Amino acid sequence: MTLEVESLGWSARRKAIVSDVTLKVETGEVLGLIGPNGSGKSTLLRLMAGLRRPSSGRVFLNGESLATMKRRAVAQSMAFVEQQADTGDAITVRDAVRLGRTPWLSPLTPWSERDDDIVDEALRDVGMIERAQQSWQTLSGGERQRVHIARALAQQPGILLLDEPTNHLDIQHQLSILNLIHSLRRTTVIALHDLNQALQCKRLAILQGGRLIDLGPPDRVLTEQRLADTFAVNARYVTDPADGHRMIRFA
Amino acid sequence: MALSVNPSLAVTLRPQFMGLTVAALAIVGAAILCGLMIGETAIPGAVALQTLANQIFGANYPLDPIEEGILWNYRLTRAIVAASCGAGLAISGVVLQALLRNALAEPYLLGISAGASTGAVLVTVAGIGGGAVSLSAGAFAGALTAFGLVSLLAHAAGGGGERQSSVQIILAGIAGSQLFNALTSFIIAKSANSDQARGIMFWLLGNLSGVRWPDVWLAVPVALIGFLIVAWHARALDAFTFGADAAASVGVPVQRVRAVLIVMTALMTAAMVSIVGSIGFVGLVIPHAARFLVGPTHGRLIPASAVIGAVFLVFADIGARTIIPGQVLPIGVVTALIGAPAFALILIRGQRL
Repeated sequence: MTLEVESLGWSARRKAIVSDVTLKVETGEVLGLIGPNGSGKSTLLRLMAGLRRPSSGRVFLNGESLATMKRRAVAQSMAFVEQQADTGDAITVRDAVRLGRTPWLSPLTPWSERDDDIVDEALRDVGMIERAQQSWQTLSGGERQRVHIARALAQQPGILLLDEPTNHLDIQHQLSILNLIHSLRRTTVIALHDLNQALQCKRLAILQGGRLIDLGPPDRVLTEQRLADTFAVNARYVTDPADGHRMIRFA
Repeated sequence: MALSVNPSLAVTLRPQFMGLTVAALAIVGAAILCGLMIGETAIPGAVALQTLANQIFGANYPLDPIEEGILWNYRLTRAIVAASCGAGLAISGVVLQALLRNALAEPYLLGISAGASTGAVLVTVAGIGGGAVSLSAGAFAGALTAFGLVSLLAHAAGGGGERQSSVQIILAGIAGSQLFNALTSFIIAKSANSDQARGIMFWLLGNLSGVRWPDVWLAVPVALIGFLIVAWHARALDAFTFGADAAASVGVPVQRVRAVLIVMTALMTAAMVSIVGSIGFVGLVIPHAARFLVGPTHGRLIPASAVIGAVFLVFADIGARTIIPGQVLPIGVVTALIGAPAFALILIRGQRL
């Protein structure tokens, strides 16, 4: 499973939101997309998911141009989790996860026991199997995000795209969602806001004004100089004497 | 990765599927039989069944030819058309509520009933077509014109872009409906005499009195084809639960599915309105009632809405014919009079669940 973007650009009302981004997602890595508000993280992720048509450039999924692929084929190899997608319908947790089987089904290939097994497995992976029959409306924000991730897993994708999955969650749920994502060991592209959380990613892509300004391991790209230039904060790395863990302290 | 379909499951599902289909047809059939028996003169069920046997299978039961005529040409056609319209309007409501993710969406949202009324008054009051064009044809043309304008407006409001939001579609529909309703009022105020105004009023509220066999041969195939197309997209409609982007990310070609389903419901609604007038309430409320009974999954919701809509409209028509002896009420009045309290009951009970 490979995902590549080539001089990708997207503009709205003549304003460039993403311009000339080229990058290749490596198999098995967790790639973090970071950047200040309005830097184009969400838009880049939507372009990579094929939910927006690029104004320029192309996205390649397994070497094939996304623009010419069928939605169904895309959804079979790549799943996208939006920020805070909600519904007013009276559905259960299991109903929501079942939607992930959509790309594998058609009116002529009906639901099978195997689909049930895959949905069970996805629910187990996110720790929601005991609450499969619970109503969506009774879930907390963190639980809803878990269910969305389970829905994405039920697509059995090679690549996961996640748009700020920890947004609006309390710290406990933020950490549990991130641990979950890192434990899945899938090729993942994740837009993140919290820079300390971003340090766990294998590589980081830093966006500023819609442009990719650096790409590489956190240690190399997220320097104190970069934090000052791109994020406009004075910050420095401190090391926790207890376990030697490095983190960013904002002044 | 190849998708292996468990063949034994497909086979075990089939009897259940057939059973439900037979049950659904039996329920609608029973409602139509009630439509045959109940009326200004009550006719026993045996006579109704013998009439059907005489007409369909050429049986030779000795029956009163007047009764047989009433049954076959008036009550049966009304009941079948009512059932088709009820089913068609209800599933149109289901589709629009799902696609636009709005509980208030209904088949007339896209300007169809407003356009149909303008078309109807243009033909009957303003005399367009010089008598060569029927009221139904005028209504159908008006409905499609209004729908076309609303679609263009929604498209333009979306910046000509590929994804107009549901809000833009709804607002375009409201603007279009207001425009065509104003045109209708303008034509009536300018040239209708009081008889014409009353006739149009009656038609606008829904009227099955003029229904005959040719209407059956239009309404039944339209409802059937509409049902099949919508049922084919049941899973895609489920995928819209979390919005259009969520649907796209589970593999639904959102643009195509939206276009196909909206155009299809528009055509179906326009056909129904041109036959029976704009019967309100069914397309808005039956989907909600069905959702309370079978849940929001479209694989069950679509057939349930079709059956409930069909049965509801057959009984609404019986009510329209019998509530006031010697007078036929507009069916739209009955659907709201019976339906609104029934729906209130469902809402209250739904709260407690």
